[in-house]
Amino acid sequence: MRVPLSWLQELFDEPLPATDDLVELLDGLGLAVETVHHLPAIAEGVIAALVETVEPIAGSDHLKRVEVSYPGASVQVVCGAPNVAPGMISALALPGAVLPGLPAAVGNRTVHGVDSDGVLASPKELGIYDHAAGIIEFGTDVTPGTPLADMWQAETAIELELTPNRADAFSILGVARDLGAKLGWRVKHPSDGLDKGDPEVDDGLGIDVQDEAGSPRFTMRRIDGVRVGPSPLWLQRRLAALGLRPRNNVVDVTNFVTFELGQPSHAYDLRELSRGVIEVRRARAGESLTLLNNETIELDADDLVIATPGEGAEPSRTVGLAGVMGGLDGSVVADTTTVALEVALFETVTVRRSGQRHKLVTDARTRNERGVDPNLQPLASARAAALIAEVAGGVVHEGVSAVGADMRRAPVRLRAERVGYLTGVEIAVGDQQRYLEALGCRVESSVTTAPDTEFEVEPPSWRYDLELEVDLIEEIARLHGYEHIGSTVPEMRFVPPDADPTHRLLRHRLAAMGLQETITYVFTGESELARSNSPQAVVRLASPQGQDRAVLRTSLLPGLLASAQLNHDEESLALFEVGRVFLDEEVERLGLLSRGASELGVWRPDVPGDFYKFKGLLESLAGLSGVEVELRPGAAPQLHPGVAAEVFWDGRYVGHLGRLHPEIEARYELGETFVAELALPLDARRVRFAEFSRQPFAERDLAVIAPERITYAELAQLCSAAAGEQLESIEPFDVYRGSQLAAGTRSVALRFRFRSQERALTDEQVDTAMANVIRAVRDAGYDIRA
Amino acid sequence: MKGEGKIDVTAELENPYDDGSGGAAADAPLAAVAAARDLNELNDVRVRYLGKKGMLTARLKELGALPPEERKVAGQAINRDKQTLEAALAERRAELERAAVDAQLAGESLDVTLPGTRPAGGGLHLLTLVTNRLLDVFTSLGYEVVTGPELETDHYNFGALNFPPEHPARDTQDTFWTTDGRLLRTHTSPMQVRYMETHEPPFKVVVPGKVFRNEAVDTTHEAQFNQLEALVVGERITMADLRGAIEEMALALMGPGTKTRLQPSYFPFVEPGAEFAIWWTNPRSGKEEWLELGGCGMVHPRVFEAAGYENVTGFAFGFGIERLAMVPHGVTDIRYFYQSDLRVLRQFRGNL
Repeated sequence: MRVPLSWLQELFDEPLPATDDLVELLDGLGLAVETVHHLPAIAEGVIAALVETVEPIAGSDHLKRVEVSYPGASVQVVCGAPNVAPGMISALALPGAVLPGLPAAVGNRTVHGVDSDGVLASPKELGIYDHAAGIIEFGTDVTPGTPLADMWQAETAIELELTPNRADAFSILGVARDLGAKLGWRVKHPSDGLDKGDPEVDDGLGIDVQDEAGSPRFTMRRIDGVRVGPSPLWLQRRLAALGLRPRNNVVDVTNFVTFELGQPSHAYDLRELSRGVIEVRRARAGESLTLLNNETIELDADDLVIATPGEGAEPSRTVGLAGVMGGLDGSVVADTTTVALEVALFETVTVRRSGQRHKLVTDARTRNERGVDPNLQPLASARAAALIAEVAGGVVHEGVSAVGADMRRAPVRLRAERVGYLTGVEIAVGDQQRYLEALGCRVESSVTTAPDTEFEVEPPSWRYDLELEVDLIEEIARLHGYEHIGSTVPEMRFVPPDADPTHRLLRHRLAAMGLQETITYVFTGESELARSNSPQAVVRLASPQGQDRAVLRTSLLPGLLASAQLNHDEESLALFEVGRVFLDEEVERLGLLSRGASELGVWRPDVPGDFYKFKGLLESLAGLSGVEVELRPGAAPQLHPGVAAEVFWDGRYVGHLGRLHPEIEARYELGETFVAELALPLDARRVRFAEFSRQPFAERDLAVIAPERITYAELAQLCSAAAGEQLESIEPFDVYRGSQLAAGTRSVALRFRFRSQERALTDEQVDTAMANVIRAVRDAGYDIRA
Repeated sequence: MKGEGKIDVTAELENPYDDGSGGAAADAPLAAVAAARDLNELNDVRVRYLGKKGMLTARLKELGALPPEERKVAGQAINRDKQTLEAALAERRAELERAAVDAQLAGESLDVTLPGTRPAGGGLHLLTLVTNRLLDVFTSLGYEVVTGPELETDHYNFGALNFPPEHPARDTQDTFWTTDGRLLRTHTSPMQVRYMETHEPPFKVVVPGKVFRNEAVDTTHEAQFNQLEALVVGERITMADLRGAIEEMALALMGPGTKTRLQPSYFPFVEPGAEFAIWWTNPRSGKEEWLELGGCGMVHPRVFEAAGYENVTGFAFGFGIERLAMVPHGVTDIRYFYQSDLRVLRQFRGNL
């Protein structure tokens, strides 16, 4: 919200601090300053002028020849504004004037053969607010011939970023209250001393609140003899400083009061209210409403509406969406003479729901959904009515129609000792009371013996956010100043468990092995999942930022593959990602991808990547974790059917590893690519020391011929079981296929190493073991290669 | 000529062994030693003079034919010659061996200025590096590290954190709702509730992790980003302790000379609430200024109520990781973090 400083100043007798100091004060109060706007005055060389005549120019569909005058001069200009009309007082920029919204200085020109000796300027051209669809129009308070730079002066406006709890601060008055409390200044309430109207006097208006919960308080005030027209310059300037566009004097007053006091209001043309009666009720089935912005909405039964009864058999007509926006029908128009001014309190959630339902964000909604001071309506009504009479003429009726009454907030108990307990700052009991009273609280001491002093604190009606003791403590700390909060370190007996929930060790190991970590989005698209043969989406976003971000990933592969595709210029690529995927459960995974001439661990461009290096990476990882990893043939939709394995980490299935399915490689324009996706955590085992053997080893080689379908793991298992206890290890050292072997078979050469824990093995012992191996191999139906 | 004292061995060995056959064999033995070009030639020289059939050996054999008094003198002379020759052979052998090693080493010499063969270029993501640095700071201060789900419920993300239903406070966190009514967490704070549900105070805990906001993406805003959340609950935790914790973090990150600033603010799950900033030297501009980091405050009594805690106080603070990665490292666009471009990623590898 913007706070024009000249406006804020009006609420104080004391002069405001310098802008920089003011910014620091507001920041320190929690009214965070986002920007300081320096709004320009109207430029030199621009004067008020009266439009005398307007004639079309032959050959142009919109340009007009306009005669304007000011005392002692008559000037002819060409003007294209649709709103230019005789009798209007506008801004005339004379030749030589430099306007912020014009590319060059104003000069004498000839347009369509018509001389133009100045420019009638729009607000945008004048640089005062964003409206370019017409020239500015002033009221009769502006005398032709007056230099406008003297009247429309520069302004500084502070833009606040208000937190949603501070409903009370959405107004100049609210900001002034906080600042006044901090500085010890009295705030002058703009409604002080105004006539609130006599409810006993009949004003010809009626209020029928049919939903008291939706609108606990409702007031109507009548102003007769109004002349709708442009607002006086001071009012236009106030609204412009807020970033609003002035409309007409009556509407401008309602907007002015919205910002000055934080109370939205609406002005109806009394002619449009049947019998002068306003109904407040929920919308009926099938009802619709055309709003002030010309948009027609279909109302919901939950919408609270303002309506007026039908004449005779007619049903009642809606004239506004309560607390959000007025209707087009019923609002003030150019020839309105009697205004019925609504100032009401609406229930916050009702307003919020209507606003959300119909996607309407208005200044009224912003305030009503946060909570308007429930005691403010009579005061704001008096202020707005008086202002309408002031700027639009007319007489405020001495009566007033109103339902509802002032309320008082429930008192909150404050134990003075708790202030220091929570903030760590000792604040004197007297100061605590002073701060609370400065904020408008009524404070009574229920216990007065220090240090057990207790207060009964009744928050002011405008503070919705003061409900609990801690809320009051924050207020005291806020006014005292957070800068007084010290810095301590608590003593605490807490020993955190030793855990690695972010998988730091794993990430470090992978990076050290030559893989680059990447982090991709959890959102992806259905098509991306399909492209990588990943499982279909389980979790879908209700309002995604595009179809490619519409669902949550079910696999890390789409992200890794997109990365690989993006980095296709890289000769080699080895990536990993640790992240969560969203299936029926949310699970954490490790994804690995390797492509190209990368030998993990050692970089040599002549060595192409291959499956066994990729697998070896996992084996190294397992070794570092003190566990075994085992791969068993196992297909997966994302993998090459012949190069696909299930991964068993320490005996537990954790995922798949293999070559990417060539179809997918082609879709992502990748060459041979290896991938793995494993469930985390990959557990580590504590290493247990084992006494090592000091005996020499003995080695024997054996080549086994077996069908291709018999895996190395099966052969090794067969041999290992037969080799006896002294077998230390089996390693393959050659795999041979060729013409010397039967088709469909291969020879796997194995190196057996034997070692005893206690003594050197004899040749006979080792030979016996190998004979057992050979027998087992033959029993299994395989051959020994000579 | 065979007098006492020093003997001119070289002269002595000049000619007496010339067998008159000419060639190499005709050379004086010492000259032959000196002339040997490699170990093989040197061995030939040794064999020629000292071998079983060598000339010196032959002369020793002839001694027996001499009269005893001459035999002694001659024997001494021959032995002296033999020793001299053996010494010369050893010296030359050493020389030739050294030369052979030198020759081998010279043949093996490499151009040390050619580029090295490097281990593969792996590395950690910058966000991981920054997160790790923060976790190091907090674990050294005795905090436990925990993580939690990214797909959350309204209850954990809002309700249990004292966001009233249908309150504008919810608008401050544009939420990605899922079609089944869940949401992507908008902050790491749900873990406050989850942790309290399963642990008893006192404790100090930090939660790093991804969070999500459904807002327009630009150079400083991402729909996915990371936060770190700290929660400390105990019997008498104060706002000064909160400030102390932030200050310790600032000290660890920025070094001595830093300071902290708290300004009142509002987050439904803390009261009093504040925003915090730390004083630092912006490496890009070289200017000292406030770096606004995040929100903090004292845990709201309603959050404790929901957790079933009584008679404790606590503080919480949280902030975005990306900012701490971008500003000090001069990363100009937050979107770089999730685009997986190697030209970006490989610039930050970390101390592996």
